[in-house]
Amino acid sequence: MDLHLEAISHGYGSVEVLKNIDLQINQSEIVCIVGPSGCGKSTLLRIVGGLEQPLSGQVMQLGEPPAGSLNPLTYIFQDFALLPWRTVKGNVSLALEEHGLSTAKVDQIIGDVLARTKLNEFADALPRQLSGGMKQRVAIARALSVKPAVMLMDEPLSALDSQTRELLMDDLIDLWQREGFTACYVTHNLAEAVRLGHKIVVLSRRPGEIREIVEIDIPLAERSNFTVELESKQKQLWGMMREEALAADMELIDD
Amino acid sequence: MTDIDLKSADTQDATRPAKPVTFRGGGFQIKPLGPIAPLVFIGLIAFWEYGSRSGFISSLVLPAPSEVYVAFAELVQSGMLLVHLSASLQRLVIGWTAGTVLGISVGLLIGLSSVARAGLSPLVSAIFPIPKIALLPLFVIWFGIGEGSKVATILFGTFFPTVITTYGGVDNVDRNLIRMGQSFGLSWSSIVRKIIFPGALPAILSGCRISASIAIILLVAAEMIGAEFGIGAYILLAGSLFATDQLIAGVAILSTMGLCFAWVIGRAEKYFLNWRT
Amino acid sequence: MKTITRRKLSAILGGGLLVISAITASITTAGAQEKINVGALRFTSHSASFVALERGYFKEQGLDVTFKFFQAAQPMAVAIASGDVDFGVTAISGGLINLANKGAIKVIGGALQEEPGIDGQMILVSKKAFDEGVTKPAMLKGRSYGITQAGSSFHYMAAKIAQKEGFPSSDIKVKPLQKVGAIIGALKSGQIDAWSIVPHIAKGLAKSPAVEIIGNISDYIPDYQVTTVFTSADNAANKKDLVKRFLAAFSKGADDFNAALVDKTAGDQAAEDMVKLIHKYVYTSRPYEKAAPSIRNGAMRINKNAKLNLTNVKDQLAWFQSEGLVSKDITIDTLVDSSFVETY
Repeated sequence: MDLHLEAISHGYGSVEVLKNIDLQINQSEIVCIVGPSGCGKSTLLRIVGGLEQPLSGQVMQLGEPPAGSLNPLTYIFQDFALLPWRTVKGNVSLALEEHGLSTAKVDQIIGDVLARTKLNEFADALPRQLSGGMKQRVAIARALSVKPAVMLMDEPLSALDSQTRELLMDDLIDLWQREGFTACYVTHNLAEAVRLGHKIVVLSRRPGEIREIVEIDIPLAERSNFTVELESKQKQLWGMMREEALAADMELIDD
Repeated sequence: MTDIDLKSADTQDATRPAKPVTFRGGGFQIKPLGPIAPLVFIGLIAFWEYGSRSGFISSLVLPAPSEVYVAFAELVQSGMLLVHLSASLQRLVIGWTAGTVLGISVGLLIGLSSVARAGLSPLVSAIFPIPKIALLPLFVIWFGIGEGSKVATILFGTFFPTVITTYGGVDNVDRNLIRMGQSFGLSWSSIVRKIIFPGALPAILSGCRISASIAIILLVAAEMIGAEFGIGAYILLAGSLFATDQLIAGVAILSTMGLCFAWVIGRAEKYFLNWRT
Repeated sequence: MKTITRRKLSAILGGGLLVISAITASITTAGAQEKINVGALRFTSHSASFVALERGYFKEQGLDVTFKFFQAAQPMAVAIASGDVDFGVTAISGGLINLANKGAIKVIGGALQEEPGIDGQMILVSKKAFDEGVTKPAMLKGRSYGITQAGSSFHYMAAKIAQKEGFPSSDIKVKPLQKVGAIIGALKSGQIDAWSIVPHIAKGLAKSPAVEIIGNISDYIPDYQVTTVFTSADNAANKKDLVKRFLAAFSKGADDFNAALVDKTAGDQAAEDMVKLIHKYVYTSRPYEKAAPSIRNGAMRINKNAKLNLTNVKDQLAWFQSEGLVSKDITIDTLVDSSFVETY
């Protein structure tokens, strides 16, 4: 299933946030969206997932989601959004409870996704007992449990320390290797973007417009061997973003 | 400053006066000290008894603790303690439970619906501060002089603080958790049951602490209306007869009830809120 | 010179401004006056004190009286026990007896008295009960009866009705409702069947269709000593002269009151003057025209010379003891100091 964003514009009151965004997210492709803070990246992601309505333009779904997908567009949040009163297992099952599945089926799915995210041992732990990286793995497990067609990831690694971030990035690459998931990945971290993105969309400062789309052809698995190339890509991106970021930094925040 | 300067400073260390850095932290930490509370309590009662026996606390002003104990023992021996307690507990449990259930329902409604908030929240703010004791004569006419008006007094007293803490709790539920629920396509009722209600539970339970105390405070007022039995009625009768020993005994029973309620709610918090850090 | 002109002035202004004259007089002779506080409720039954102050009878006895007003008899009794107030008038209640037992107060004289032939406290029933056949106090068996508190005068009256009608007092179900207002509400709405209360309130209530008068308390307790004069035990024991002077002034006030409004021997003008005097203290929030009938209706005899019906007081004490509301060890001497007034 592909997603097409067609001429999306959005704003709050007199403030224009997004302007005329056209973008294509193809199956089994990770599209990274980068941009200076406040450029409307997260708003765009919410629009893609149907949590917010744009003032104009629309998001089109091309083709059917894979069979058995319970929630085609599934989010992963920066702050994990785990229910603190539910165990790891309970948090995953939250996403499955609405679909009239048998208890045995639910247990089987939970067991499966926890195994895929290496969380089996922690099934009965509460979120407060887990580290940040573990919490995000639980959130990923929860997202996988509903067999999403597209994963909408809103700065999923930003709340983590740099070591955990590295480990989790490797996990995500492994996962993509095995499952080939489709994702729209919002980040302000260019290193993450060049490591994970097949396509990197650079947004300008507010109102966010697409400045450039950078494609990286190196396969994800091999990227660790091409550090020099990636570094130059990252420099190229930073060159584009630097001015925008500088200007955005000087703006008064009044929303 | 050059490297040479730094070196010379090093070599001067031997000759310069040295003293440890003065400790400035501490002092504001509350440490748990086990047996202090009972000691203060026992000390106070011993002093009170001594004062009554030596006569500098007149029996008119305050009865001796031993007299209070005798009054309490009489109450137990006559079997009336159980009669009074069961009458009061029944009113408390029915009134408080009904007030809390209604309060949580209305609180959730105000927390979730803009219409209900606009319509009800000013009403709640307007009625909450009315002393329910002032409405007693009206309660007599509305609910009769039987159990109705007594339960109603306690119900009204617990309803309003519960409404306010509940919708405050709903307002404080992490919006991102609700968004997460929506992103997984959860239904409205599931989001309320599985995300909003548990998220508001800490506030609701601390509201219960307050409303339980209010219920006990209102018990005396509730039993002003045609109550033959009940701890409040016992206290009122003792007051009108100037039987101060019985009065203090009754008050002690009330505060023990308060302690028991607080303990039960404390256990409930431990059980339901074990997920809190 | 100044004092003389003031006296002249007050004499010219006459009765209505007697207060001012009393105050100015008390200023001029301050040295000789003994300052005391008298507790009072804003009821017609407390008029003897009001008259004694307004007409200068306290002053004649060398007493500089300040009234302390209370909402209920109970805090007044406590104030006397604590020494904040020197004299008061109230019904005998369990609380009063227990305070006497603690050595805090003494009854020293009688005030309000039930008397056949003069409107006294009346027995009321709700319309609902009346329609169900409770048309005579004898029918109160098995009915509910409003009282303020166990051990209040209302409770005593209910028990006495049962006694005279020949059924156990437990057959009248007394309902403690704490406040007169709550009892009235309960009676009007038919929550309780019956109540008894002083005549002016009773007559006022009977005007509404919800309440009926079915009898008089004086038929059941013909010599009921409704209220008594009391003071602190300390005053009774150590300031006998002060107590005598207070009672003398109080009695003189009571005589004027009885003559004007109870026996009506003093003529219409005196009655009118008396009502005006009382209106300064009672029903002050109502206009005179509305207050006057209530004041007239509420007039019950205040005993001459503060005579005390000891026989009835003994009966009341015995009843409180039989109900277990006060200790059986209390004797009449603990409650009453009968050395000040004539008792019978």
